[in-house]
Formats: sequence, C-alpha cells, structure tokens
Amino acid sequence: MAKESEYDGIAAKFAKAKARREQEESQGLTTASQDDKKVREYQFTASHGILVALLVWFLILHALGIYLFTSGFLLTRLVLNDRSQCAEPPVLVEGYEVGSIENGCWHPKSFDKAVVIVVDALRYDFTVPFQPSFPEEAPHHFHNALPFFYQTAKDSPENAILLPFIADPPTTTLQRLKGLTTGTLPTFIDAGSNFAGTAIDEDNLIEQLYHAGKRVVHLGDDTWHALFPGYFEPNLTKPYDSFNVWDLHTVDNGVTEHLLPLLDTTNSSKWDVIVGHYLGVDHAGHRYGPDHPAMAAKLRQMNDVLTNVAQSIDDSTLLVVMGDHGMDQKGDHGGESADEVEAAIWFYSKRPVFGRSSSYRIEPPATAKERPVAQIDLVPTLSLLLGMPIPFNNLGAPIEEAFIGLSGNQFGNLAAVYRLTTAQIGRYMSSYSNVRKLDESTTAEPQKLWKQATASWDMVQRIKNPGQYDWRSAYQAYSKYQKSTLHLCHSLWARFDMASMVHGIEILVLSLGVLIVYACGITGDRTELNPILLVRGALAMILGAVLGASISFLVDAFPFISTTVYLAALGGVAGISSGFWYARRLRAPVPKTLWSFVGVAFTLLLSIGFASNSFTIWEDRILLMFLASFGVMMFGSSMRQRDVAKRTFGCYYSILFVVLTRIASLSMLCREEQMPYCKTTFYASATSSTSAAWQLLIPFVTAIVLPEIVKSHFKATGSYHGSAVLWIGVAFRIGLLICALFWSLDIADDKDWLDWDKARLKTVKMVIAQIALVIALPAGYSTFSWCEPFLSISNTPARAATKSPEATGSIQKPPTTPGNVKPTESDENPKQAPIVIHGYSNLHGTRYFLLVTIWVLTLLLLYKPMGSGALALCLWQILCLMEVLACTGQQTSSIGPVVLAFIGSFYFFKTGHQATLTSIQWDSAFVPLRSVRYPWSPVLVVLNSFGAQILCSIAVPAVVLWKQPVKTKGLLGQVAKAMVIHVLVYATIGLATTVWAAWLRRHLMLYRIFSPRFIMGAIVLLVVEFVGAIIAVGGTRWSMMSVGDVFGWP
Amino acid sequence: MERNPISQPAPKPSPKPRPIPLLETSAARVFTHLHPAILLSSYLLQFPSIVADPISALAMSLLPLALLQVTYTTICLPPTGTSSYMPAPKATKAGLKKKGGAKQTGGYATNLATSLLALTLAMVLGPVLLTIVLILFGAPITTHLPHTFLCACHMSLLAIQPLVYTHGVNAAKWRELSGLLVPVDEVVGGSLGVFIGAWLGAIPIPLDWDREWQKWPVTIVTGAYIGYALCKFLGGSVAMGRHINFG
Repeated sequence: MAKESEYDGIAAKFAKAKARREQEESQGLTTASQDDKKVREYQFTASHGILVALLVWFLILHALGIYLFTSGFLLTRLVLNDRSQCAEPPVLVEGYEVGSIENGCWHPKSFDKAVVIVVDALRYDFTVPFQPSFPEEAPHHFHNALPFFYQTAKDSPENAILLPFIADPPTTTLQRLKGLTTGTLPTFIDAGSNFAGTAIDEDNLIEQLYHAGKRVVHLGDDTWHALFPGYFEPNLTKPYDSFNVWDLHTVDNGVTEHLLPLLDTTNSSKWDVIVGHYLGVDHAGHRYGPDHPAMAAKLRQMNDVLTNVAQSIDDSTLLVVMGDHGMDQKGDHGGESADEVEAAIWFYSKRPVFGRSSSYRIEPPATAKERPVAQIDLVPTLSLLLGMPIPFNNLGAPIEEAFIGLSGNQFGNLAAVYRLTTAQIGRYMSSYSNVRKLDESTTAEPQKLWKQATASWDMVQRIKNPGQYDWRSAYQAYSKYQKSTLHLCHSLWARFDMASMVHGIEILVLSLGVLIVYACGITGDRTELNPILLVRGALAMILGAVLGASISFLVDAFPFISTTVYLAALGGVAGISSGFWYARRLRAPVPKTLWSFVGVAFTLLLSIGFASNSFTIWEDRILLMFLASFGVMMFGSSMRQRDVAKRTFGCYYSILFVVLTRIASLSMLCREEQMPYCKTTFYASATSSTSAAWQLLIPFVTAIVLPEIVKSHFKATGSYHGSAVLWIGVAFRIGLLICALFWSLDIADDKDWLDWDKARLKTVKMVIAQIALVIALPAGYSTFSWCEPFLSISNTPARAATKSPEATGSIQKPPTTPGNVKPTESDENPKQAPIVIHGYSNLHGTRYFLLVTIWVLTLLLLYKPMGSGALALCLWQILCLMEVLACTGQQTSSIGPVVLAFIGSFYFFKTGHQATLTSIQWDSAFVPLRSVRYPWSPVLVVLNSFGAQILCSIAVPAVVLWKQPVKTKGLLGQVAKAMVIHVLVYATIGLATTVWAAWLRRHLMLYRIFSPRFIMGAIVLLVVEFVGAIIAVGGTRWSMMSVGDVFGWP
Repeated sequence: MERNPISQPAPKPSPKPRPIPLLETSAARVFTHLHPAILLSSYLLQFPSIVADPISALAMSLLPLALLQVTYTTICLPPTGTSSYMPAPKATKAGLKKKGGAKQTGGYATNLATSLLALTLAMVLGPVLLTIVLILFGAPITTHLPHTFLCACHMSLLAIQPLVYTHGVNAAKWRELSGLLVPVDEVVGGSLGVFIGAWLGAIPIPLDWDREWQKWPVTIVTGAYIGYALCKFLGGSVAMGRHINFG
C-alpha cells in the first residue's frame, strides 16, 4: 500500500509539473534557450536508446523461445562411436577365415581397388533414353546426353549395372555424403550446416579404408575434406572450392586432369581407392536449370570423361559412378520431391562379375520408380566388394546384382552377405536401444523378423543339399528384417522432444502476450514507461538465467542449456509484466474499429490457414487477396474524408495500391506443389534459373522511373531540396543504373553475348557490385546522418498567394509565432508579406524516408531482374500506403504497420522466393564477392531472401512520420507502438507456424511444407525484429534529431 | 485531424442519412422474406448444372435472377427520391420527385419503371467494374474471362440493382455509400453481404479436396448468394440503423 501511495504522489507531481510546463509553453513563456535545447536533446537520445534496447530485449525473448522449440523439434539421432572391426564379424562365419584384409574381412572380396565418382545432382532420367510421357513430348536438353551407362548396362550386363539410386532427404550434398559413407540417415537439422560442414565422428567407409592401410585419393568438391579431415593421401589429393555455383568447369576439369593420369598403369600402384566428385552438372542445374544447352553440353562432357575412365581402369578395379541427389525442375535441390531424390548409380567392372536374378532385370529400369535401390545400400555393397567390414551404423542392404553371380543364381552368396549385413544392423540396434533405453515393444517387430530369418538360415544349414529356393527364402527373410529395421529407424529419428517444444511454445505465447500489451494495452506515451520495463525485464531475465543455471547444477535431471534458457525467458516475462502492472496505465487490448478488427482478423485467418497444407502452398495468392481487401478498405476510408483534395488523393492512391499489388502478383516463382495451376514467370521458364533477355529491361526501367516516383512524393510537399536532390536525383539514380549494369553483364554472361574471359567478367561484375554497395551504404548513410531537414525558405508573397499552401506543403509563418526560426526582415517590417517555409508539412517523413531509399538501393543490387522490378513496385506501394494514411489521418493507427507486414510477406513471394529450401537464391552470396566469406555471405543471402520484409520494416517509422506535424508530441512513442504492432503480425504468424509444425509432426507433408514454413517464420521474425530495432528505430535518431535541431523539441 | 493552419473549408455536410425502411404494405413485408427463400432455393436447384457447366448455367440464370430482383425492389422498397431524407429535389428520374416516408406513393407502375431503369444502369456499369475488381483480387487475367464476367453479372444484380433503385445515381449519395457513411439497412446490408460472401467464397478454392465445385467461379457465386440472403436479413433486422465505425 505504501508503494502505491508513493507512486500516486509521484504521478500527481509529475502531472502537475507537466501541465504547468505545457501552459507556459503555450503562452510562450519559456523561450527555448540553448541549455534547454541541450537537455531536451539529451532526453531524446536517452529515451531513444532505451527504446532500441527494449526492442532488442523483445528480440532476445523470441530468440529464446524459438531456440527451445527448435532444440526439441529438429532433433535427433544419437551418434554411436562404436567401430566395426575387421576380425570381429557380427555373426559366426562358417567356412571362411575372417579377419584378413588381403582376402576380405568378413566375406571374400571381389575387387582390390575402386574408383568412386560422384557426379553431383545426376538425376536418373539423365542416364536413360528419353521416353515421352505423352505423345507429342519432345526430348529436353537433359535427355539422351549421357548414354554410356545405359548402353553398357544393357549390352554387357555382366560388366555394368545401372539402377535408380534413391536419396534420403534432405537432399543437400553434405547430408548425402554422410549417408553415402556411413549408411545411416542424417537428420533435418544438419541441413542448415551445409555452409560449414563438420567432420563425421561415426564409423564410415573412408575411415575403415584408411585404417585398413588403403591409400585413398580424393579429387574435387572440398566438402569431403570437411567431413574426413586427414584421411586422404596428401600428395595426390586435389580439393576444389564447391560453393561458386557460377563456375561450371574449374572443378570438373581439375578432377579429370588429375584422375586420368592416376589410372595409368605407371601410377596405379600409388593408390587403392580414388574418390572423385564432379560438380559441373549440379552447378549447371543451379545456374541454368536442367533444360538448357549448357546442361546438355555438361552431360556430354561427363559421358566422354567417364567412357575414358571406364577404358582406363584395370581388371581388379571397380568403377562406381553415382549422383548424390537429383534436382528439381529448376535445377535446385534440398527437399524430398521425386526429382530431387531420384539419382542414378552405375557399377562397372572390366572383369565380368555382375548378374541378374531374372532376364527381365537385364535392361536398366526405364524410370526411377522401378527396382530402385536406396543410397545407403551402397555402403554394405562397397564394403563387402572391397573386403572391408561394414561400418557400424549402417542400415543399408547389399545390392542384389553385385552378389548374385554371373549366372544370376548364387542365392547362397546373397544370403551370406545379407546375413552379415543384417547381423551388423542387429548389433547396432541393440547398442542403440541400450543407450537410448528404448522400450522392448518398439523393437518387437524387427526382433520377430530376425528370429524368423535366423531360423530360416539354420534350416538351410541343416539341409544336405540346399537348393536355390532354400537360399532364396533365407535371403528374403534377412531382407525383410533389414526393411523393418530401416522403417523403425525412420520413425525413431523423427522423434521429438516434446518437453522442449512445449516450453518453447509457452515462451512464444507469453512473449506474444507481452507484445500485445505493450502495443495495444497501454495508454499514453510509451517512452515514459520504457525505462522501468527494460530494467525490470532485463534484471528478471538475468535472475531467471542464474536460477536456471543453479537448478541444473544441483539437479541432474535438468539439462543446463534448456533450463537456463527457459527460466531466463520466464523471468523476463514476469519482470516486464510487473513493470506493466506498476505503470497502471493498462487497457483491454481489443479491436474497437473496423480497421483494427480487419487487421486482427486477417492476421488470424492467415495464421489459422497455416494448419492446412493447401493454404500454406497458396500463401502468395492469399496475401494478394488480403492486400486487395486492404486497398478497398483504404478506398472506403478515403471516401469518408470531407476534404475534397484529401478524398481525391486518398482514392487515387488506394486504387493505385490495389493495381500495383495485382501487377506485382504477375511475378511468380511456383513451388512444386502449385503445379499445374501456376506458371513460373520469375525466370525464363519453369525449368530454368536464369532470367529471360527481355527481363533485362526491368532494372533499367526501375532505374529511370523509381527516382522520379520518390521525387514526386517529395515535391508534393515542397521537400525536394538540398541533400534530397543530391541523394535521390543523383546518387540513387546512379546507384540504380549501376545495379542495372551489373545485371546486364550477368545476363550477358549467362547467354554468352560477350566474348570475354569468364574470370575477367567476374572481376568486372564484382567491382561494379561493390561500387553500388559503396554508393548505397557508406555514402547513403553519411548523407542520411548528416543532412539538414529538407526545407527552403522564401519570402516571395506572389508565389505563396498563387499556390495553395496545402498543395505545396508549405507554411506561411506569421512573424509573431514563437519558434526557433531566426527572425527575418519581416520581423522588422510586420506589414511585409510573411515568409514561406517549403517542405514544412512533411519534415519528419521526408527526412526519415531517405533511409528507406538507401536500403532499397542495397537490396536492388542483390535482386535478379524480375525481383528488382517487384521490389520497386513494393517501394511504390509503400509510398501509396503512406499517402493514403496521411490523407485519412491514420499515420499513428495500427493499420499502417499491419498492412506493411502483409506487403512484406507478399513481396517475399514476388521476388522469386517460396517457403522451401530449394528457392533460396544462394548465388546472391556471390554478387559482390568471389568466394564464401563469413559473415558476409550468409548476410547477403538473408538480404536477398527476406529483402521485402526488411524493406517494409524499415518503412514502419516512415508511415508514422509521413506528413506528421513537426511539433507533434510523443512521436517516438508512436514509432515504438507501430514497430511493435508490425512485429506482432510476424510474431503471430511465427507462433502459428510453430504450433502447427508441432501439432502436425506426424503429417506426411511435415518436411515438405510445415517444417520449411516454420523455419521461415522463425527466421523472418528474428530478422524483422533485428532490422526494426537497429536499422529502422535506430535510424529515427538521426532524422528526429536533425528536425529537433532546427525546430526545437516538442 | 485538421493540422494545417490554413485549410479549405469543408463542404457543407449533407443531412444525416437515415436507413431505408420497407414499403408499408403487407405485400412488402411478406415478400421481403419470401425473396431470399426463392433466391436460395432456385440457386440450390441450379447448383449441379452450374458446377457442370458454369458458363451456360450462369448465363441462363441471369434473366430469372433479374426478374426476381425487379419484383423484389418493385414490391418491397421505396424507389429513389421518395424517402424524406433525400436531400431536397435532387431526384433523378422524372415523376419521382415526390416526398414522403416509406409510403407507397407512386404506385407499383412507378416502382416497376424505376426497377427496370435501375436494372439497366446496374447492368451497364456493374459487371465491367466488378470484373475488374475480381481480377484485382486475383481472378485469372488471361483465362476464364467469361466465367469472371458472369460472376460479376450475378453480383451486380444482387448488390447493385437494389442500391441504384433506392439511391439513384446521385454522386454524393454514392460517395457516402462507398465510404460506408450510410446507416445499415436491408439494401446496404444485402449489398455488403454479396461482397463479404464472395470474399469468403474464395476460401475453399485452394483446398486439395479435388471437388468439382471448387472450380472458378462456383464458390464465389455461391458465397455471394448466401452472403446476400444472410446480410439482407441481418441488415433489415438486428443491424438496422447501425453505423459502421471505420476507425
């Protein structure tokens, strides 16, 4: 009670002092002295700093919640460190002396040496003859260009096998290489680590070879070195950088150049296994898409090289060529669509060894749907063929054709290798269930099958003269066990840590509540409350973290990181809630007007829709409809204006808003699930990832038109002066032209218009891109932080009389008005015409908007031609929105930031993205750089991916400040409110996608649709909060300071 | 929110608009409830053929719908210019300058003439405008144009014809209507219902249920019909006379 009364007393004093001050001000008693101005300035910078800190605090709260959820959701395979030993086969082997590397560890080996070649992204249909799926279909560029595999497998089946080779998602090279060497199933979380691969710490083929004293040579993609550091022959190995997708030839030519000499008889004693990794096909896919002449040329080159290799190997060498994954229609990969997982594998031996169990299996399968083998099957096959022990964690099965014998009837051999493989799987499973303490019932089904298989084997052993049929049934029994175990592991490793997920969701729900109260549940100026909220929130968060850490230290059952994170977040929420309670300025955060109701309803509708795969797939169309609806409401709102000019302009900009939305909607990049109701227009065609030649016009049109549009909005309020002319009229324009030049060179490079050396072209492009960046960021930011508000003062009465002041945005200042404008001659002679200040009515808005144009320029450099057009439309639409809201006087209402969030989400799709891993435009990392550089490369990819959302969140303060009277009180608080409402939309969507991903964790489409959408929602939320706090709200410091400097502080 | 020290004087506010009541005849009171029943049941009957062949079925049902709307407006609603709240003698059509409440003033012949005139006007401007609006909301641009146009025709008959009949073609009046400055009544409610219904009708389209009726523009038209019937009832009863707080 004492505290309350104390508070009341302070509040009353404060109110009294405030009232007196306001009264004095209105009477002009306090003239703004120099000292006073200093104090005000200091007050502003302090409350600005606290606001930015508070926004960062919100960001931390969300990050904690997302971290907790993610750690439970994206788990999840425990890596066992056991290794298989040559002398210790998993079962007793009768009739063979085990443990000899010379003859084969567990089973007699078939080959001494091997050449294993990975052709990145070799899809199965690249290797088989084209078969039209409908009568008129013509072969694509990728068809019939690599006939060698098919020919050999068909003509001499005892020398070659060609089979579809099904990858386990995620289909990224790093995960695939793990699978191809360990025989297990890498889990989804690894997908993110493609940028920086880490060493494999479980049993694998390369390590087995190394420890057996075999000399392994590696050529090509350097991802192998990240995975297997130190296992390759240092003298002969040649790694190449894998991430420069522009470069189709360096890696491939390098591999070939070093591979062929090694195969020569003079060198063949220097190595035992060669691993070659060609990247050209993958890069051609990423760069041009599969249906492009460059792809055909690449495949033909592979055909010639591999024909050469096949001729050069000796009789005791096995040649294996395979794709690590496929590629989708556009040549990208990462997901689990049929095109992405269907790779090809081809075995070749000069000595006839392979067989087929029946005659219909001789011809290679016509499509990847027939007789596919799993990628992990390579591991036991290669291990046994080379006489190595099968890696401990392997779950794959030997490939039938390699062990069935020339005549195709050695089922005894096949049953023996299956027995070894499955026994190893059994050994692994028992270790795994021991460590993870798996329930007996979980493994009951495979256990039963294992008993049946051993019974079947024992029966065959007892028969005196077992026939093919008996062996075959034993083999099939083992095969059943392997399939059942694989199935079990698939489901086990899709297991989630529910406790973490639920706690993560709790934190996200609570932080959403905090945001809602902060944005909509507080009366009065927020900046007055910020200090107490920040102090309590931050202190309580630290307390919570300390508490969590000590609890986990005392009680073993609580894991350190998640307990600390959870309690820190809970503490933070509790702290800020106590701050809200202390402030006692709460009101119920419920929508009261049609506008706010619609804002809430649309956000909720979209969020609920993410529970359905259809609405998630068609998000871009839904956003189009929502934006059109907002536009129509803006039209209605403008129609309600009494003032004719406001009504007319409001209606005009509302209509323009809707039309621009629809025009932008024509830029489409379709995701696979949208087919056939969607036509990709972002690239030249659906099977390409290059721009069409005509799209080159777009950046040039943008460069000419966009500065004009911005200029016209500045001119409308007479604000086009001084630095605005310099920046918008000159620098912005030149910057845009440079971007257009960059993309012209890029297209010229793609289409081979220029007869230049590729390396030189890349250097030129890089320099151009860097110049554009220098204009945008260093030059742009120094203009933004140093320039004066855009004003000009004239005292020509004629002009003021002829032009309506409202239209020019000027103000006629009677000389008696107190203020900081230095007295002019009109003071001495009151009879004379008053002075006119041009640009006065939109001082805050235009001054801040400079920041938006700086970032537009930066982003446009990273956007492909179609995307740059879309982003330019986005900026235009933001301008329309600001004008309408200024016409209807709604700058500070919640609708501006909400619509901005929808615009940002909409243009994410229109700039060539989808909520899928494959649509990430990795090549944007190389626009101003030659190779991957941290942290810049990931930053560039984020800027490219979420540029639309970034731009819109930077525009949030602009909406509040646009045409805002100079002396409006509490502007910073309004900016804070708007920013939090903006974040609120993303936070709601992020929470919804999180909840749905958790709820639908057993859904068939989890990894294709819900999981990517959740990841995107989480990243967008954090990016928008970061940009909103640091760049946008951070930027208001300079714009508001420069206005305050000239006109004083309200 | 007037901020500029010097701003243009606002135009003289027009008299406060009032909701439009039904005609005070028992026929009007009965038929206004009969009308949605006829509308929805006949739509239900046609639904299979609309799903099977949208173009011909929607085209064929235009004339009956127009007849129904003309009958409804003639029997139930006061034609433009007859309600007392109309700003002075601004009525647009000859012979309609009389004032009065919602009494039957000019006789059914006048009403019928106005109805037909309203029908003509609504069908001249409405379909083209609404087609453009539908396309702006995401209807296909290059394909399905006849479908979209017919959908717009149905929406015009439902939403615009009664509005023209009761409000005439006074620009100021239509400005109020498009800014939703008018109080809710049966006509405004029904028209709003058409748009809300059509909007909601777009929701099932993307679902992967593979139903025949999900095709363009069946759900939109269906939503428009249901929304019209529902909101017309609400507008004439619970929401009668309410104002919309735009914010």
